[in-house]
Amino acid sequence: MHEAELHDLSDDSDYAASQQQASGSIMRCDSGKSAVTEPNGSEVVYSKDNVTIHPTQYASERISGRLLLVKQGSSLFMSWIPYKASTDELGYMSRSSNSGPTEKDRSLYTIKNLPLTDVRSIRRHTPALGWQYIIVVLSSGLAFPPLYFYSGGVREFLGTLKQHIFIMRSADDANVFLVNDFQDPLQRSLSSLELPGVVSVANRASLRDSRGSVSSADNSERVNQETYDGSASTSEYSGRHKHKAYDPARDLSIQVLEKFSLVTKFARETTSQLFREGHNNGFSPYEKRQQNNYASPNLVGTRPNDAQKNADVTSVASDPLEFDKLPLVWGKQRESPLCLAEWAAFLDSEGRVVDSKALRKRIFYGGAEHNLRKEVWKFLLGYHEYDSTFAEREYLAAVKKSEYDIIKSQWQSISATQAKRFTKFRERKGLIEKDVVRTDRSISYYEGEDNPNVAVLRDILLTYSFYNFDLGYCQGMSDFLSPILYVMKDESESFWCFVALMERLGPNFNRDQNGMHSQLLALSKLVELLDSPLHNYLKQADCLNYFFCFRWILIQFKREFEYLKVMHLWEVLWTHYLSEHFHLYMCVAILKRYRKKIMGEQMDFDTLLKFINELSGHIDLDGTIRDAEALCACAGENGTACIPPGTPPSLPVETDMGLYPQDDDVL
Amino acid sequence: MATIGNNNINAKLVLLGDMGAGKSSLVLRFVKGQFFEFQESTIGAAFFAQTLALNDATVKFEIWDTAGQERYHSLAPMYYRGAAAAIIVYDITSTESFERAKKWVQELQKQGNPNMVTALAGNKADLEDKRRVTTEEARTYAEENGLFFMETSAKTAINVNDIFYEIARRLPCAQPAQNPTGMVLTDRPAERLQISSCCA
Repeated sequence: MHEAELHDLSDDSDYAASQQQASGSIMRCDSGKSAVTEPNGSEVVYSKDNVTIHPTQYASERISGRLLLVKQGSSLFMSWIPYKASTDELGYMSRSSNSGPTEKDRSLYTIKNLPLTDVRSIRRHTPALGWQYIIVVLSSGLAFPPLYFYSGGVREFLGTLKQHIFIMRSADDANVFLVNDFQDPLQRSLSSLELPGVVSVANRASLRDSRGSVSSADNSERVNQETYDGSASTSEYSGRHKHKAYDPARDLSIQVLEKFSLVTKFARETTSQLFREGHNNGFSPYEKRQQNNYASPNLVGTRPNDAQKNADVTSVASDPLEFDKLPLVWGKQRESPLCLAEWAAFLDSEGRVVDSKALRKRIFYGGAEHNLRKEVWKFLLGYHEYDSTFAEREYLAAVKKSEYDIIKSQWQSISATQAKRFTKFRERKGLIEKDVVRTDRSISYYEGEDNPNVAVLRDILLTYSFYNFDLGYCQGMSDFLSPILYVMKDESESFWCFVALMERLGPNFNRDQNGMHSQLLALSKLVELLDSPLHNYLKQADCLNYFFCFRWILIQFKREFEYLKVMHLWEVLWTHYLSEHFHLYMCVAILKRYRKKIMGEQMDFDTLLKFINELSGHIDLDGTIRDAEALCACAGENGTACIPPGTPPSLPVETDMGLYPQDDDVL
Repeated sequence: MATIGNNNINAKLVLLGDMGAGKSSLVLRFVKGQFFEFQESTIGAAFFAQTLALNDATVKFEIWDTAGQERYHSLAPMYYRGAAAAIIVYDITSTESFERAKKWVQELQKQGNPNMVTALAGNKADLEDKRRVTTEEARTYAEENGLFFMETSAKTAINVNDIFYEIARRLPCAQPAQNPTGMVLTDRPAERLQISSCCA
């Protein structure tokens, strides 16, 4: 490593300034204090007041605080402590229940003693007009919300950092400062940066200490050959654990770079999108209203009677003066579908899937070729165990075939005269017959009169309603079964795959709708987390029940995409690779794609439902999956926390009452 | 709820009825002039809008098409709440669907807007040879329950536009001469009155 080069940042005015400052050995801070030594040996080396987070576009919800850099021994820590709500703010907040940050919000955003070793990079934004801000990106790829320096000082901040830790300007973006990744940055294009490379860089120092025999070059090469899952390498390179920041388990879920790009996009989108859209495309009524309000901020919350009204039309996004182009970077580029040769390589000689996580990951990013679905889906759905052998699966198929025939014979043996005295059976059979004849009849496999495949759909669904009599048949089930039969081309196998799918999605059809309600509620929480302006809009439009997404969730987008694309999406969802609830992130991703239209046209519930229904066939699947992937990664644990345990398709929490609580009427 | 302004009436209309009775097909015939033999089932609900010209007024129907299965019954109030009109659809070839239609009538009588214009539609009238519900039986039931009744066929388009026109004509707001104040007086509590007063 060439330290002289690393430190040569003379092209950067920030650093030139910081050098001068350092020579004077006095930090310029708003608090007027210079470096302060605390009793416990920690030293405040930088302090800046009026550094503010904008959780939403509403000015009333901004949270101001103090940014600190604290040195303790040789380690540097960053903190951002929000101010206590001032009486002024409280006065406003108390009048307006749905605006203004709560104390909980304030503490949510607090950054407390973040070791700079956990920081991957810092991106600065210093627009000529408007506030400067920085985005701190962690090694995990996640980022804190932008920190706006209302009183300036980004330059001093970076300057101070540079005095205490290694920091390097990115070769690709002069505004990105790499804090813990500075191997040969000039030669490595950020856009081609592969994560294993990051790992090898990260561990070079520690490996040198702990495993002197491994040369850096070897290490770098070896790590590059590994898959991202890295489980095999974790124990081998124990040295890596010395640096928490480079824990591969945290890094490897998704490429750091992509998350970084997304975070950048993300942060800026939420702060300035409304304005930019308005600016580029002419003002919609909604935006215009907001703009007008922005122009007269004295309207906001001045009188108690106005508070509620103003809460709905509070001023537009901060940073109206920043116009720079948004880099449209999403999740990982979609891959080609899993092919036969790859699939074969995933199996050992006896047919076990050796690395199921790698397989699920592969399918998550690319799906599977159609002719492989027949095999692969059985694993994804949980009908086949990953560690089963060819022979075991063959045996299972035979056992399950006879088991299926037994259940099927239960209803087949009901004679016509018996059926006359068996209303429930007749009704159930009637429901199924009404639906199978109108399920995917435009697909050649099901088209035409007296199509035998339609009869197979009916037989499977009727058999299922005996297999799971409590749940029975419900509209939407034929939508799930149709592609499964199309893929399996086998009645018994289709049945058992459908059974496996219903293990997870059966609660979608519960009579009390609790499975659907829990998902719609989780979706509402996710939108609140990932797109608070949209959430606020839907809230004031009284659309927070999210019933306009009912169809998306009930049948996992079956009606939204063409047949083959549905299969692709389903196998992606069924990997449960990033989340069991990836479909909810898909919902957020689609809503985000159309947020401008939804908010701009001030859609009410009726209009929104119509709009959403009519999106069918017009949604870009690959793009949406990538968006959803990025959103899922960005949401991280906060996203997981939005989704209560047992929310479908998580396996239901079993109770003594049976899985399908019901009324008297068993239909 | 129906609202009026410059002789332009907005009226929320909801379609209820057994699954497979032809609710979506009726709407699609009315709104788009289309018919599909194998119209797929409705998941959740669908929303359509269609405007009718009526003498010196126009009526814009905001139509909610609902899922028919009993299982989704709990969602229905969300859609019929505040509706100015309802079409309860049954299939003339299915006595079960007629029984189900009666249940919907009862539910609306209990829960719905008391001034709601309610139509009973015996759909699939083209399938005369498979008829299981006689016209007389349905007409009698309709008269007893203050509904107006038509047999329709989304497939042949018979009576489809007519039933919507008839609803439009019967909307209280479309009859200013008979109801000069524009207020429908009822002895219901104020809350209910607000829903029922179409011109308020």
